[in-house]
Amino acid sequence: MSVFLNSVAFYEREGSNVLKSPKFVLPLAALAFFVGVPVTAHHSGSTYFDLDAEIVHNNVTVVSYNLVNPHGRLVFTFTDADGNETEWGGELASANNMHRRGLGGEIFQPGDKLASVTGSPSRSGSNFMRLTRAVFENGDVAQVTGRNAGVTRAGAE
Amino acid sequence: MQNVRITTLEFVITVIFVHFPVIASAQADFEGIWNPQHPPRMGQPPPDEVRLTPAGQAEYDNHSADTDRTLRCLMPGIPLGLVDPYPLEIVQQDHQVLFLYEHFHQVRRIFTDGRKAPDHWLPSLIGYSTGHWDGDTLVVRTTHMSPDNNMWTAGFPFSGDENTYVIERYTRDGDMLTFRGEVHDPTYYEEPYVVNGRWSFAPEGEIWEYECIPEFGGIL
Repeated sequence: MSVFLNSVAFYEREGSNVLKSPKFVLPLAALAFFVGVPVTAHHSGSTYFDLDAEIVHNNVTVVSYNLVNPHGRLVFTFTDADGNETEWGGELASANNMHRRGLGGEIFQPGDKLASVTGSPSRSGSNFMRLTRAVFENGDVAQVTGRNAGVTRAGAE
Repeated sequence: MQNVRITTLEFVITVIFVHFPVIASAQADFEGIWNPQHPPRMGQPPPDEVRLTPAGQAEYDNHSADTDRTLRCLMPGIPLGLVDPYPLEIVQQDHQVLFLYEHFHQVRRIFTDGRKAPDHWLPSLIGYSTGHWDGDTLVVRTTHMSPDNNMWTAGFPFSGDENTYVIERYTRDGDMLTFRGEVHDPTYYEEPYVVNGRWSFAPEGEIWEYECIPEFGGIL
């Protein structure tokens, strides 16, 4: 497997700079090396996020997905309880760890519809969360954190 | 000319030291790539068990998310990087053991030839490390660490003053490398701050590049 960061392309889009990941998906077989590897993070997440709280946003639309170090970021919108379109950011694991968990490549694309995203809210009260899980409309699950991190296809045990 | 009689044992020992100097001097084989398998809390002590001095408590009370240097794409160094969540490659040489971390491409040189830090050595993030073997355990002592660092990202401070030092003990048990680190910082801590870590041997492991972009480290 190539060292993906050597081939990362950086380009500008209208109104924003977006770091685009290369177009490949980590073969599931490669994940065998990391099956059962406990997911650890260098940062003490509780400093920045309320890990005892959980928030879920349903029917979200992906705005951007940046696979970088120290943290990847998923930006998405959804319609809040007042009927307003709201934009949120979700902190992901580092690019290196996302790849190792089978969550690299272009797993999220701008415009993708997700059934839900789950995470821990930022202690600052901003529209930002530590994203732990995303469910696609077809039922696939992208588990970002925890021992079962990775992609689980819909219907799989 | 004197007749030199060499016993069989002397001959075998000579062959070993001449042809296998690394084996002869190292007490255990740590070479290779290791994947993190650290205990919960990244091997850090429970926060309520950390006993800070008044000065340490004052620093802790003032910490914020900005104090996590790795979110600003600055390498963790020692002691912050003692328990690291990315693969590590260990290379053993006659005079040193090299710890090559994927995380920020950090390189630790642990000198095992008995040398001491030169008088001109300046404090640095990675410090100055010397090591020796205690049986099959590698014991590492690190000094000269920079005060521009933290003990842990949960806000625990690090003074980095001249009284600080770290003792690490690494032991291999099969394919598991365990270590215990004691950070001595009497300015901020009533007793040594102890961390524990584990690494699993990964013959097929890979060390990747760790490019970092500060704009993606902050909390929005």
